[in-house]
Amino acid sequence: MKESPNLIFHVLFLLLLISPSVFSWKKDEFRNCNQTPFCKRARSRKPGACNLIATEVSISDDGDLIAKLITKTPENNESQDPPVEVDSKPLLLTISVYQDGILRLKIDEDQSLNPPKKRFEVPDVIVDEFLSKKLYLQRISEEKIDNDLGFSSVVYLDGDYEGVLRHDPFEVFVRERGNGKRVLSINSNGLFDFEQLREKKEGDDWEERFRSHTDTRPYGPQSISFDVSFFGADIVSGIPEHATSLALKPTSGPGVEDGFSEPYRLFNLDVFEYLHESPFGLYGSIPFMFSHGKARGSSGFFWLNAAEMQIDVFGTGWNAGQDKIMMPVDEKRIDTLWMSEAGVVDAFFFVGPRPKDVIRQYTSVTGRPAMPQLFATAYHQCRWNYRDEEDVFGVDSKFDEHDIPYDVLWLDIEHTDGKRYFTWDKVLFPNPEEMQNKLAAKGRHMVTIVDPHIKRDDNYYIHKEASDNGYYVKDASNRDFDGWCWPGSSSYVDVVNPDIRSWWADKFSYGNYVGSTPSLYIWNDMNEPSVFNGPEVTMPRDALHFGGTEHRELHNAYGYYFHMATSNGLVKRENGKDRPFVLSRAFFPGTQRYGAVWTGDNTAEWDHLRVSVPMLLTLGLTGISFSGADVGGFFGNPEPDLLVRWYQLGAYYPFFRAHAHQDTKRREPWLFGERNTQLIREAIHTRYMFLPYFYTLFREANVTGTPVIRPLWMEFPADEETFSNDEAFMVGNGLLVQGVYTERAKHVSVYLPGDQSWYDLRNGATYKGGKRHKFEALEDSVPAFQRAGTIIPRKDRFRRSSTQMDKDPYTLVIALNSSKEAEGELYIDDGKSFNFENGAYIHRHFKFSNGKLTSSNAAPSGAGGNKFSLDCTVERIILLGLSPAPKSALIEPANQKVGIEMGPLTIRPGKSPSFATIRKPNVRIADNWTIKIL
Amino acid sequence: MNKKKKIGGLRRLFEISIVIIIGCICAITRSAAAAAAKDDQFLLLLGVSPQDEDYYKGLLSSPSSTIKCKDGSFKFSTSQLNDDFCDCPDASDEPGTSACPNGKFYCKNAGHIPFSLYSSRVNDGICDCCDGSDEYDGKVKCPNTCWEAGKVARERLKTKIATYQQGVTVRNRLVEQAKLAIAKEEAELSKLKNEEKILKGLVEQLQERKEQIEKAEEKERLQKEKEDKERKEAEEANLKEKQNGEQVESSEADALKNDIHDKIGEQVESSEADALKNDIHDKIGLLGDSSSSQDVMDGHGDSESEAQHGEFDVKEESPIGDVKPLQEDSLLHATEKEEQLTVDGQPGLDTGNQAEVEEDNSESLSKEELGRLVASRWTGEKTEQQTEEVSSTKDKNHGTEEEDAYGEEYSSYDSEEDDHRYDNDDGDNEDQMDDFGGEDHDDSSPSYKSETDDEPDLPAEPSWLEKIQKSVRRIFQAVTFFQTPVDKSEAARVRKEYDESSAKLSKLQSRISSLKQKLKHDFGPEKEFYSFYGQCFENKQNKYVYKICPFKQASQVEGHSTTRLGSWEKFEDSYKVMQFLNGDKCWNGPDRSLKVKLRCGLNNEVTDVDEPSRCEYMALVSTPALCVEEKLKELQDKLDMMNKEQPTSHDEL
Repeated sequence: MKESPNLIFHVLFLLLLISPSVFSWKKDEFRNCNQTPFCKRARSRKPGACNLIATEVSISDDGDLIAKLITKTPENNESQDPPVEVDSKPLLLTISVYQDGILRLKIDEDQSLNPPKKRFEVPDVIVDEFLSKKLYLQRISEEKIDNDLGFSSVVYLDGDYEGVLRHDPFEVFVRERGNGKRVLSINSNGLFDFEQLREKKEGDDWEERFRSHTDTRPYGPQSISFDVSFFGADIVSGIPEHATSLALKPTSGPGVEDGFSEPYRLFNLDVFEYLHESPFGLYGSIPFMFSHGKARGSSGFFWLNAAEMQIDVFGTGWNAGQDKIMMPVDEKRIDTLWMSEAGVVDAFFFVGPRPKDVIRQYTSVTGRPAMPQLFATAYHQCRWNYRDEEDVFGVDSKFDEHDIPYDVLWLDIEHTDGKRYFTWDKVLFPNPEEMQNKLAAKGRHMVTIVDPHIKRDDNYYIHKEASDNGYYVKDASNRDFDGWCWPGSSSYVDVVNPDIRSWWADKFSYGNYVGSTPSLYIWNDMNEPSVFNGPEVTMPRDALHFGGTEHRELHNAYGYYFHMATSNGLVKRENGKDRPFVLSRAFFPGTQRYGAVWTGDNTAEWDHLRVSVPMLLTLGLTGISFSGADVGGFFGNPEPDLLVRWYQLGAYYPFFRAHAHQDTKRREPWLFGERNTQLIREAIHTRYMFLPYFYTLFREANVTGTPVIRPLWMEFPADEETFSNDEAFMVGNGLLVQGVYTERAKHVSVYLPGDQSWYDLRNGATYKGGKRHKFEALEDSVPAFQRAGTIIPRKDRFRRSSTQMDKDPYTLVIALNSSKEAEGELYIDDGKSFNFENGAYIHRHFKFSNGKLTSSNAAPSGAGGNKFSLDCTVERIILLGLSPAPKSALIEPANQKVGIEMGPLTIRPGKSPSFATIRKPNVRIADNWTIKIL
Repeated sequence: MNKKKKIGGLRRLFEISIVIIIGCICAITRSAAAAAAKDDQFLLLLGVSPQDEDYYKGLLSSPSSTIKCKDGSFKFSTSQLNDDFCDCPDASDEPGTSACPNGKFYCKNAGHIPFSLYSSRVNDGICDCCDGSDEYDGKVKCPNTCWEAGKVARERLKTKIATYQQGVTVRNRLVEQAKLAIAKEEAELSKLKNEEKILKGLVEQLQERKEQIEKAEEKERLQKEKEDKERKEAEEANLKEKQNGEQVESSEADALKNDIHDKIGEQVESSEADALKNDIHDKIGLLGDSSSSQDVMDGHGDSESEAQHGEFDVKEESPIGDVKPLQEDSLLHATEKEEQLTVDGQPGLDTGNQAEVEEDNSESLSKEELGRLVASRWTGEKTEQQTEEVSSTKDKNHGTEEEDAYGEEYSSYDSEEDDHRYDNDDGDNEDQMDDFGGEDHDDSSPSYKSETDDEPDLPAEPSWLEKIQKSVRRIFQAVTFFQTPVDKSEAARVRKEYDESSAKLSKLQSRISSLKQKLKHDFGPEKEFYSFYGQCFENKQNKYVYKICPFKQASQVEGHSTTRLGSWEKFEDSYKVMQFLNGDKCWNGPDRSLKVKLRCGLNNEVTDVDEPSRCEYMALVSTPALCVEEKLKELQDKLDMMNKEQPTSHDEL
């Protein structure tokens, strides 16, 4: 009949739609290791190939250990022709030590020998504060290691560690003082290789071709590679961004799974419809690896380098049959191979030993996560695109109509006048200020997108200024680089230059960005950078930046500088009084100081929901605490079941935003029937209920680097069961959340770690720790548990947005452990300004023991001149694990008696089990008080 | 007001704050509880709707009394009512505070419309009730705007009522007209059905007759040939005989000739002609007897529907465009295939070269082509049609070529379907008809279109059938016996009569079919949507013209290109929404669809078209069909209430 002629096409089309990822990832458009000469070269080297030795070891004027790395001349063979002399110039090695047991190793060419070019060192990543924590070395001790003929140089590290430079064979490692146990090392397998810059000789063909693109490579090969070993490690993790498991699978040696034969690639790329199980590089790069093991704990290795990097994780037994000359045989360890196209060795060794120590050490180098505005920790509603003002108001009012709170409404690229950022489409958004003000009146904010590609249009003021001032990245022939992106022909702002960053930042002033208001914040997309007609959808490696730096040398940091410039712009526009909020897709070490990131263009599939957890946990381990995945999946249309489960899990993401491609069906929370609306509302309410807890955790991250969401092993480092678990995660130290990752799941198996029990958030039921439990997969939430021994602050009243919650009273949920004790914290500030940096905040410590709840001040005395005061009270205290329930309690110092009644764990219609609840203690949250159970 | 007293009390408590007193809600309620009894009453029943006052009555008598939460889960006492602590999970103890997440706060809004707010709005610093009653903790001062807002609302309501009043009249008329028209059409249908039976009988007879004549003619022809042959042979023989003995032979041949003539004449006359004559007379006798000869109708599907479709092919103008030659068809399919395949980067057919290029030799693309190509993965835009802007700001701007293709493709479906019908129409006609009707109101089928635009050209006066009957009778009367050779003019007459009658029959049948189709539709509980049938509502928005044809289809027209937004599906939401589904496919998206929201208005008119979600359209149509009397009453009641609740002095605050 009518359909028949097209039936085949429809079926075919449907099939293609069903499994887009299989067909869509354009594998061929991206280089693999074999197509990447430096990677191929490094991978083909055999252990022990390095023939460098350390000589001339001394202490420099700066208090560093310095040495020269020279090629070992074969003994008694001096008469022979010298081998190929390309890398024969000595390299300069520097070891510096810093507080908290951090060792920094730099290896570069010796500038006094006039190399053709100064190799690039990534600026503006290491925080000044770290540099001031340097310890000046006083002496180097010498020691013979194993059966070495020569000496090794040993330096003291802070804590109980030592740094060792082994001279011959060359090796650097950190060990525990006393027992000599190694923690982590470099070049233990002798894979170190450093291609020195050289003059081009006749006949040298340095060009590299990939598909239609030619990389002129005017400076020739300059790669660096070396092996790093993590001792006592059961797992290694980190090095985002990859859509893969938290514990990194081996990519080389025995036990390599299908699809993991490529090294983990760190090369910021805009990948269309990425796969969910792949070592392939995505939008951001952090060359920081985290190891953890039951035997020793955690350690970390960070290589500050912004060129393309490839990292192999070797499977156990990878070097079987090879000469294990340098390795202590009995030690359990994980070996890795690090390869980079350019730059220098600037590596940091972090000794741990607890996971939180490693993250503290790493973020002391690259900076702690910024304290976000309170609103940014709430729920964000996004779509490509909310088309016009009417659409914006419609969506806004629907949230109110359905009593679903949200804080931020986002506008994607279509809001602009022809993809000219900082402008508005005059037809669709004729009154942007009025629109923002209307939302702001309800305490809501807006976000607009601003990308780094600038439309090459002489009538566009940004382009005019940038081209007139020479602010664009140049191509290999030193003309403004011209690439294709959303607006068509575009150029890219050279944000590597601090002056250009400053110029860019000024564009965010209210005067410059016409139509922006104080409630408007920014989204940086496409900052990998994405160049549609560039090699691998990015900028050619021979493009030129400020100071003649090639793009290849800093590619991975480009998005970071752009994010930085934008974030600084938002600080500038309010004269430093308002915390910025900028979401970025590309990232690099240090990004945590400038804003949030998300995992880019994911897909509405269960596998993508599942992989979001290891992806976000990995980001947290590498310093980026404020991260999320698009709730619902960017591409495709989620079934209501998937969407609901995504909201239920996403409510616990540090950054909680729903987003969708323009071709997808509308999926605002109320579009899937009353029941689903109710479920999504409840999921979003859960996030708002826990906002005080989340905000406290953001502050913890801000102070210590400890991420908001954590792998279970960060809280239970000795529990081996948790090491490979990346389907559940901890929110702070008090909540454990597990997603539901299958369609119409009937049951969920959840491992609850530790020796204390856990309280089910849904009904307060207790479950034993150290066990795997099987739970019915309830429709109304994903499994979530409060850990016994913790106190979690909540706000149980719902509002339109977080803004209206500021004066609402608190609820404290006390989950008692087996000794009837618990503790917790609460951090509060004004939620927007920088006054907290001068002490304008409330930080409470709650402790329950001996039948008494005590609230005490946890802020350090003399934290600053500013004060933050708040009249909020505690309206309810729920006691879990207290039976029989007492009848009343006494508040001191007011000496006032309050009743204890039985009440539900969370207020929702219908019957639910009840627990001892202190009714209306009405103590002020900012005060010291105790409540004694009578 | 009472509020002032409260605030005064608070001011003493928190002297620090100068302008606005920020206090926690509980402090307010507590201090309020200590205030006068009148205050108590006010506070206790804060946020309670009039319907609920009875429920709370038990609590007002004494401070120690308790009642159960509405859901029966817990009990609460007078002191727990509106004490800013949630005791009932269903919020029944906190109608006036934000303590329970599921509560509703009733604002009286005297002078305007009373309203129930979510408890999340109470004391959140935003004025929601026009009487300001939701903000009583002193954080913000909400002026009472009910009078002004109410005035505006009342005016609006009055206008609406006026529209409804007129609309109801129009609607009643519509309903009357629809009922009459439907009755008329039903009557016509049954009449036509009878006529069809009769006419069919006639046509059959004529056909038989025609066949007989043709048979006879054939025989005659054969005979003639035979004779010719014999003559020739005879002549040849004669020629020979001539040489031998001419005369004898010739007489023999003559005898033979006569013999043959006689035989034929006898046969035809006696057996066939008589039988036929009787038959015809019988059948003609049945004319006017409407209930008879059902069986005659059966088994004639072929000719009927062929004729029917044939006729429409020629006559009917498809609303979409002319039927395209088949050749173009296949081309269009190719285009479509390519489009769908490029979605996933697989090479398609002709324009698919581009996709192929993407896969294999993007090397050969220019930088710009490559850029557009990669961009198109996200946007879905066709790369070749890009000009200045890589993607224009409106989704709608997407590919006119694409839309062209769809439009044409759509019309190509028609011709295809016709072909199919010709090929497959060997089934029972009645079944075919049922299939047809049951086929999801497939408006693209030709017979469906027919009734709306051009009614089949049927003779107006009722005598047309009689005329045919008469002339048929005349034929059979005049030709009471066969003459041989066949009378040429007689044969022509039969043929002509047959052709005319069967043409009339097919017109009749198509009219029946279209009437059946029409009457099958759901015109609403009171047939109020009857007049929508055959109508199209249009609306121009920028460069697009939206065309909504109820019971048929909806489309978006831009210049010469037409995009189908959907085929008629059904009414939804108790006849407040018209749903059109399965429109042209969107790139990387769903099939287009359109929801039409209907509301009361004096004219049938499209007031707005929107695309809230990609390729899911929404239109607003005002129509008197929606001006229901009950709703009018409701509105009048509402207005009465608003007028009643007007405060005596509106400038109180």
